[in-house]
Amino acid sequence: MDVGIESLNVYAGLARIGVRELLAGRGLDPDRQANLLMTSRSVGLPFEDPVTNAVNAAAPILAGLDPTDRAAIELLVTSTESGVDLSKSVASYVHDHLGLGRACRVLEVKQACYAATGAVQLAAGYLASGVSPGAKALVIATDVALVDARAGFAEPATGHGAVALLVSDRPRVLTLDLGAFGCHSYETLDSARPSPRFDIADVDRSLFTYLDCLTSSFAGYRDRVDGADFVTTFDQLAMHTPFAGLVRAAHRKMLREAGTSVDLVAADFERRVAPSLRLPAMVGNLCSGSVYLALASMLTHADVSAGARVGLYAYGSGCSAEFFSGLVDAGSARAVQAMGIPAYLAGRYELTFAEYTQLLADTADVLVPAEHRTVELGGYRKILERGRAGRPLLAHTGAKDYHRRYEWV
Amino acid sequence: MNRMAGDRDRDRVTVAVREVVGRILPALPPGELRGDRHLRDLGADSVDRVEIILAVLEHLDLDVSLARFSELPDIDALVDVLVMAGRTGG
Repeated sequence: MDVGIESLNVYAGLARIGVRELLAGRGLDPDRQANLLMTSRSVGLPFEDPVTNAVNAAAPILAGLDPTDRAAIELLVTSTESGVDLSKSVASYVHDHLGLGRACRVLEVKQACYAATGAVQLAAGYLASGVSPGAKALVIATDVALVDARAGFAEPATGHGAVALLVSDRPRVLTLDLGAFGCHSYETLDSARPSPRFDIADVDRSLFTYLDCLTSSFAGYRDRVDGADFVTTFDQLAMHTPFAGLVRAAHRKMLREAGTSVDLVAADFERRVAPSLRLPAMVGNLCSGSVYLALASMLTHADVSAGARVGLYAYGSGCSAEFFSGLVDAGSARAVQAMGIPAYLAGRYELTFAEYTQLLADTADVLVPAEHRTVELGGYRKILERGRAGRPLLAHTGAKDYHRRYEWV
Repeated sequence: MNRMAGDRDRDRVTVAVREVVGRILPALPPGELRGDRHLRDLGADSVDRVEIILAVLEHLDLDVSLARFSELPDIDALVDVLVMAGRTGG
């Protein structure tokens, strides 16, 4: 039985700021943009939160399903490091506002930027087991950013949004190579979110851990897949992308370890990696959705019409990592391109630095539980009207007795 | 290992570090590269620091877990880790 991703959609907010504008506003060296390889970052608005991001990513997928297929979704998992309550899950709100059936399993998972991949693999294993023929699982990676000036060069690299993945036995987007994977996990503190108001990061430890885990998880993959070779087995690569410059360094490290001539590294990067970085460079790090934004980018910008095997790498601080693979083809590209992701991203409102800093102040408490709160669209209505492109979007309107409130607008 | 051999190892690693840092940070005056400085203080951002460590390991043909380079207070400490890795084989 084939199992994998049937549909994939991205929602990365309605606003962005150019990285050059942001670096200039912070008084940071704009030449550092060369190492970040980023052009803009998505920025959340006051009426956007992990619930609205998840629903707004998944709703277009569900709109394309007939009632029978909608009813076949018997597992909903939200993957987030932006929880809104220590007990009640983001998934519970998402389940309601997507109108999913009451026979659905509903839960939330957390392992920093890895968790969505863990959920996809567990869902794929469940579907492949055959205990519920025809079942589908909806896995949604959804997060918001809490970065500000304290984050330094991580600020322009941090995104906002969600990636929705429908997993089933009709894998139009990515057919997983079941059983072909390698994991590597151990305890470390490279980055974390100890409070709903801020993140902490040990930048060097995080980058080095990402790179070590790529080597080790690929070694695990190779142990399970006879003859697997980083250079020749995969036609394309899609990796967790905290910023594109790290992926470039990771690719170079892996090719050096594979014994590839240094003269061939740049051309190999352009052919097998660069297509996966174009959408992430417009959005920033989407946490556990990042590797799937890279996959969407690759399916948008690479030629896979003859069929291709893609190697995927997911890494989450803390840490847990996995290297796995799957097959894509022309139908995969058509399925992703039908979602219109590049045009939507290009249509986001471009903030000035002054608007951006005001927005950070207005959204600083988005994850802080409040007994009562009202969120007004206010001056941000113009951004909503511009970015929604005529389709309904879910908005966070406040809280009553700690119960978060949402409305379609 | 006798002291002279140890000095030779250290000299070889120091030369490699200087060569790589000079290549990745071409605007850095040679006199600024002192053992008591952190790469960050020399203008190396996080990606530069990754590139420097990877290039030095490649130059010295060492395979070392990068986690060992996460908490280096200065360039002397970087050289210490590289010398030790060269003696123990990584």
